[in-house]
Amino acid sequence: MIYRVLALGLAVLWPAVQGAPADERITVSAAVSLTDAMAEAAEAYSRTGHGVRFNFGASNVLARQIVSGAPVDVFVSADEVQMDVVAAAGLLKAGSRVPLLRNQLAIAVPGDRPRTFRSVREIADPAFKRIAIGDPAAVPAGVYAKAYLQKEGLWPAIEARIVPTGSVRAALAAVESGAADAAIVYRTDIRVSPKATVAWTVSASDGPRIVYPGAVIGTTKAAGEAQRFLDFLRSSVAIRIFERFGFTPYQ
Amino acid sequence: MEIWRITWFTVACAAAATALILPPGVVLAWLLARRKFPGRVLIETFVSLPLVMPPVATGLILLMLLSRRGTLGGVLERLGIEVVFTWKAVVLAMAIMGLPLLVRTARAGFEQVNARYERVAATLGASPARIFLTISLPLAWPSVLAGAVLAFARALGEFGATIMVAGSIPGATRTLSVAIYGYAETGQDAMALELLLVSVAIALAALWTANRLVERSAA
Repeated sequence: MIYRVLALGLAVLWPAVQGAPADERITVSAAVSLTDAMAEAAEAYSRTGHGVRFNFGASNVLARQIVSGAPVDVFVSADEVQMDVVAAAGLLKAGSRVPLLRNQLAIAVPGDRPRTFRSVREIADPAFKRIAIGDPAAVPAGVYAKAYLQKEGLWPAIEARIVPTGSVRAALAAVESGAADAAIVYRTDIRVSPKATVAWTVSASDGPRIVYPGAVIGTTKAAGEAQRFLDFLRSSVAIRIFERFGFTPYQ
Repeated sequence: MEIWRITWFTVACAAAATALILPPGVVLAWLLARRKFPGRVLIETFVSLPLVMPPVATGLILLMLLSRRGTLGGVLERLGIEVVFTWKAVVLAMAIMGLPLLVRTARAGFEQVNARYERVAATLGASPARIFLTISLPLAWPSVLAGAVLAFARALGEFGATIMVAGSIPGATRTLSVAIYGYAETGQDAMALELLLVSVAIALAALWTANRLVERSAA
């Protein structure tokens, strides 16, 4: 009886013992605000016969993962600061770092309580008891948001009502669920959200300079593949996809 | 200093949560130990649920109930009571996660009390409430206290449910564990490490106390 159980167990576990077939795809860590656009870009890329596996998250978390040894091939960050973190650890492949995209901030409100601002100062309205932004200590969207609010002289009035979230999409989710009364996210995030609407879009000239850089990670075991994907992100096919989601190509 | 502010806030919330669950928890523990009633197994199961479910899942359930669009949340909003993303949500999350530990530990204590004493008191005319207050509770006291300390320690370390329903707002809902996570995520390792040491120290103290109390009750 015991031998039968053992034999059955071995038969079940044999494939795992053999080792699963190696995943040929490269791993790309990308800022969470790129989730939807990247998925479509990857689909277009896969038609060239190459696969991509994504790891989306707040750029500061992704940078930390890479510095701690995560086996990532390409990193696309929502700001230069987090890319610098990886660079400072000596983990960027020399010469591969390129600025890819531009974006703009926007203020989101719950879809069932829409509002359109005539000026950004309306965010100081006491009706907005909780304003969600990415943690301004390190999440790029939060850093940009705080810089913008400080530039407009609104930070002191808003600061006590800020709810820092782990990522820009968490801030968006807070507004979608009604837990927050407003959120400062990217305009590209609100576009893909069915439950949040735009109250105010920060123009490129008023807002902080938002740049999404991309680079190949030095420890990659697929440098050629990684570079090919990074080049693809700058191709006209990819640029058209990003523009459709509201990003602007870096000029 | 930020560390002491966070520590003080966490300890205060954990104490409030423990105080909140103590009366109902002890009564529930005694009922489960000494009384058979319809739905007993169901109640037992529900009370133990937060112990077994992933804390974030418990937190998500709380968030769905208490957010503006939730069943309870809508009522609270009309009454002008804010719970999510305030210290009240922190205390609530801690209370729910600590309740099973209190009930299970206290129940074991009540079960250890020699039932003969309770029966003798009943034959002498004592009401169930009087038996509970003058015989069962005093005899099971070390276990009840141990349960309270465990619930307190669990409340101090609570993370998943807290971050779901209360977020990580500095000065308002940032507890010890949530702060450690936040500092680690934003690369502030020195702060994370200091808070880590504080939580280890508190946890050790709490567990040591709880174990001593359980030993004393078994002696």
